[in-house]
Amino acid sequence: MAASGAATPAIEAIDLVRTYQTHTGVLRRRPMTVEAVRGISFEVKPGELFGLLGPNGAGKTTTIKMLITLLLPTSGAARVMGFDVVHDTTAVRQRIGYVFGGDRGLYDRVSGIDNLRYFAELYGVEPSEQRRRIAALLELVGLTGRENEKVEGYSRGMRQRLHIARGLLHDPEVIFMDEPSIGLDPVGARELRQTVRSLVDAGKTVLLTTHYMFEADALCDRIAVINAGRIVALGSGADLKDAIAERTIVEIETFGVTDEAVERLRRDDDVSAVNMEERDQSQILLVQSERGAHITQRLLSLLGDTRVGKVVAREPTLEDAYVHLIATTGHDEARAARAASVQ
Amino acid sequence: MTPGRTVRLIWFVTWFNVRILLASEFFILTTFIAPLIFATLAFFLFRSGGGTAGQTLLYVALGAGMMGVWSTTLFGCGGAIAWQRWEGTLELLVNAPSRYDYILVGQTLGAVVFGFYGILATLAWGVLLFGMPIEATYPLILPLSLLAAIVSLGSLGMLIATTFVLYRHANALGNLLEYPIWLITGLLVPVATLPWWVHPISWLLAPTWGMEAIRGATIGAAPPTLAIAMCFVLAVVYYIAARVTLVFVLAKARRDATLSLQ
Ligand SMILES: Nc1ncnc2c1ncn2[C@@H]1O[C@H](COP(=O)(O)OP(=O)(O)O)[C@@H](O)[C@H]1O
Ligand SMILES: [Mg+2]
Repeated sequence: MAASGAATPAIEAIDLVRTYQTHTGVLRRRPMTVEAVRGISFEVKPGELFGLLGPNGAGKTTTIKMLITLLLPTSGAARVMGFDVVHDTTAVRQRIGYVFGGDRGLYDRVSGIDNLRYFAELYGVEPSEQRRRIAALLELVGLTGRENEKVEGYSRGMRQRLHIARGLLHDPEVIFMDEPSIGLDPVGARELRQTVRSLVDAGKTVLLTTHYMFEADALCDRIAVINAGRIVALGSGADLKDAIAERTIVEIETFGVTDEAVERLRRDDDVSAVNMEERDQSQILLVQSERGAHITQRLLSLLGDTRVGKVVAREPTLEDAYVHLIATTGHDEARAARAASVQ
Repeated sequence: MTPGRTVRLIWFVTWFNVRILLASEFFILTTFIAPLIFATLAFFLFRSGGGTAGQTLLYVALGAGMMGVWSTTLFGCGGAIAWQRWEGTLELLVNAPSRYDYILVGQTLGAVVFGFYGILATLAWGVLLFGMPIEATYPLILPLSLLAAIVSLGSLGMLIATTFVLYRHANALGNLLEYPIWLITGLLVPVATLPWWVHPISWLLAPTWGMEAIRGATIGAAPPTLAIAMCFVLAVVYYIAARVTLVFVLAKARRDATLSLQ
């Protein structure tokens, strides 16, 4: 069943579906089905850095957990390096590493190097290899010199780097990272991106999830935008941008804009989306239109007597593309996740 | 995996688990401090009752030590699963390329061996503070009794752990199993003094026979052959039950997403 070679994708997801059975209500518990992933298909080539980008609750973690054999798909299939994630679990597990964001998943009461030694054993690293391998990984993630300290004293960033070292112990061919930069400060996040890049440079295949569009754009060869359990766009950052390239974004700074005024903009035939960002004193309206910059005057008149500050017309960025995709495909729960967005 | 690697893995996990337990105040208390307190109380009770015979003190000290062993087994095998789930390490262990049953064997052995250190501590306490004599009527059988007790409690611990993998709220059940088992397995008072309908339950539980095997070798009137044999028989039965349950439990965990707290 297994196969390897240039033609085999590193990761293959075929119409993956996953539901969860839960309960609602505290006193009268009623069973409830959550459709976390609703039919996801994609392929990742060997050596590719592939991003799953989507808001909280989109189904990113669930997708990853199916790919790393932790969860069974409700339907559909997936293969990693040609091995089926449902049946060939050991073969898959030997070839993958995974890193979950956040500070869980470590033994706090012992040192970093003890954590690594323990998992090296569980991951079947040859005893004669372990010492060299652990030293190299400590070096890679920049923990050399701190490895003998107890993990409970580690900072968030150090924990995250220890996680990465753990995930790489058995030199896996495919690496899954679930929101690896969550909770990191900007410097830590940048270092993390460099580490991820160096993995790909070393020939690894990486699938990472993130809800930061800029992170996906900066790192990934291709991005699948996932929303409410479905892939709503797939391509390079440039491809996604192209989808709305002919649009113009007009940024209008307002002071105390009313809902009715925003509603008037939204209903205009030439406006395809309105997104609002709250600032301290003002609001920034991001208006997407297919009519070019000359729509600006009309927009201003639609705003009526709203006090207006700076107005800028510009080319769309990937962020605009992302906002557009999520807003036009979102189901209610996904929409609620992005607070101040008006479509 | 070669047999050599398997042994190495189990040894590694055992040793790691002992270190984790040593670093935990909860287990220091459960394994070392609590039995000392029980033993001290019991020593004073017996003393005020006039019974200061060395054999009675030894009976009490071994019982108190075994209470610590049971608590450590219960929380170090079952409770540990709940903690791992909370820490986020359970998924990592279950999903490692190594077979999870070997990891569980190592964890269980770690907890039980750690628990038996508690017996040593209790004995030392008895000797130092109460002048308890250290003597054994069958010194050559004692190591076998200890081995039998460790193996049977370990197997039972593994069975407990498998059920804890399955149920997210198994810890509540675990807490319920501490004191009643002390009582019905004869750690506090002889099983013979308990109501007749308790006896069959006692016979199915490893601590009953483990305790009898150890007490038999130290203060018994006859070699504890039956108790030692029962330890090994129960160990095999528990182990088979644990392995069968584990196959089912791991399949269910992948289906129902029970390994993490989301
Ligand atoms: N174990 C679970 N039980 C019930 N619902 C779950 C569970 N895990 C995730 N969900 C639900 O499934 C959906 C997708 O979750 P998730 O895959 O974690 O999304 P993401 O990682 O993109 O934030 C969410 O609505 C979430 O609440
Ligand atoms: Mg997630």
